[in-house]
Amino acid sequence: MTAADTILAFAQLWGVVGAAIALAFLTIGIDRIDEDAREAYVFRPLLIPAILLIWPLVLWRWWVLETGRDQWARRHRPPRAAHLKVAVVMAVLVPAILITALAQRQDWPADIAPLRLGQPAEVSE
Amino acid sequence: MSVKYIPVQWNRNKWVYDAALLVGVVAFLSVFLFVAPGALSHERPINPQIHNARAFGACAFLMLTLILCIGPLARLDRRFLPLLYNRRHFGVMTCVVALSHAFYILNWYFAFSSSDKYSALLFANTSFGQLAGFPFEIFGIFALLCLMILATTSHDFWLKFLSAPVWKSLHYLIYPAYVAVVAHVALGILQDQQHPTLPVIVMTGASAVVALHLAAAVKEHLAGDPAAAGGDWVHVCATADMSDGYAKIAQLPGGDRVAVYLNDGRLSAISNACAHQNGPLGEGKVLDCLVTCPWHGFQYDVTNGRAPAPFTERVPTYNLRVENGTVMVNRIANPPGTYVEPVPIHQSETLT
Repeated sequence: MTAADTILAFAQLWGVVGAAIALAFLTIGIDRIDEDAREAYVFRPLLIPAILLIWPLVLWRWWVLETGRDQWARRHRPPRAAHLKVAVVMAVLVPAILITALAQRQDWPADIAPLRLGQPAEVSE
Repeated sequence: MSVKYIPVQWNRNKWVYDAALLVGVVAFLSVFLFVAPGALSHERPINPQIHNARAFGACAFLMLTLILCIGPLARLDRRFLPLLYNRRHFGVMTCVVALSHAFYILNWYFAFSSSDKYSALLFANTSFGQLAGFPFEIFGIFALLCLMILATTSHDFWLKFLSAPVWKSLHYLIYPAYVAVVAHVALGILQDQQHPTLPVIVMTGASAVVALHLAAAVKEHLAGDPAAAGGDWVHVCATADMSDGYAKIAQLPGGDRVAVYLNDGRLSAISNACAHQNGPLGEGKVLDCLVTCPWHGFQYDVTNGRAPAPFTERVPTYNLRVENGTVMVNRIANPPGTYVEPVPIHQSETLT
């Protein structure tokens, strides 16, 4: 099995597990942990793609809410403090990537004088 | 606003926003595909599949750049707040455009071998040890995965289920996604295209994103210096600085922000972070004891932090006092929805 096949097999397994969790969560779990979702069914299929992608996070939050471990105060602490760090990291990475990529760009073949690779047709004839 | 979930919450403003988005996308693709193919200066002839892939790729890059400019622009100048209002739909549409780009690429460059096209995408180029000819597709795959996570978790249910801070942290993926897109473009199409237009457009867009984020972050950093007065009480401002109907925002030790409102001569304090997306409640105006979040219009009673019925959102409240003409707030938040008796502003010293 090649590395590419392994990655794709892992992605398929991830999706299958996610589908099973989506089925359980959208039929049983969601009604238990969110009163606003009770008797609201039309929006539920919209949640399936996200559950397929981030099902470990879904399982964790489901467990936190089911067991009453959710801490209300944390809901009001947005991670705004990271704005400055993000800006600085982007200010370093983005120019570095662009400069490096443009610096190693190769000349276009059209700028190179053509080389004759074979004899002219009339001579070869 | 969250009474019962529905698939998509549309209103007139969102319809207008989405219509403008759709018109913009169609206009960009039309210009790229039909109006100005000569101006794109493809030195080598390209077929319609590649042309389509490039059109959708360029559109996705432009949309992502615009999305990333909206946040810092709104933090720098409130007049850009309307652009923030429906940014989630902007993000979902960007993901759809980026997916279209990916499928055009897959169904042309990787579709005609005996291998599965998804396998071919992963093994066709594995020169990870060199910069020239680096498999730039890997950056595109990473960015696309991030965009898919952001788009699929954009429903309000995810905000409530994950909680706003977790949701916000997850949506910070937009930044590594953008850096990956820049690398994808720089090591991909920029290596092939010699015409100066494309590098200039890419560098201008990326520079705008970086410069705006730096400017907004520096502005917030300079303005957000907490002024602790010792103990649990934090200095907010002088009573003379308060304007009726508006708030002063103070940052508490630990990073939380509190919005202190003057409403009919009396002070009330609630969390500055809206329960919906942590929008800045302190920038909203109070009418009939209700403050409206400037981001998405959620409302809260400033005396108890509760959204008016039938809505159920709640934010924490804070105790206040006025001391020698200074407004002081207690750093310990009350549980969301707790009523706090408003404090008259004209008094020498009051404890609540």
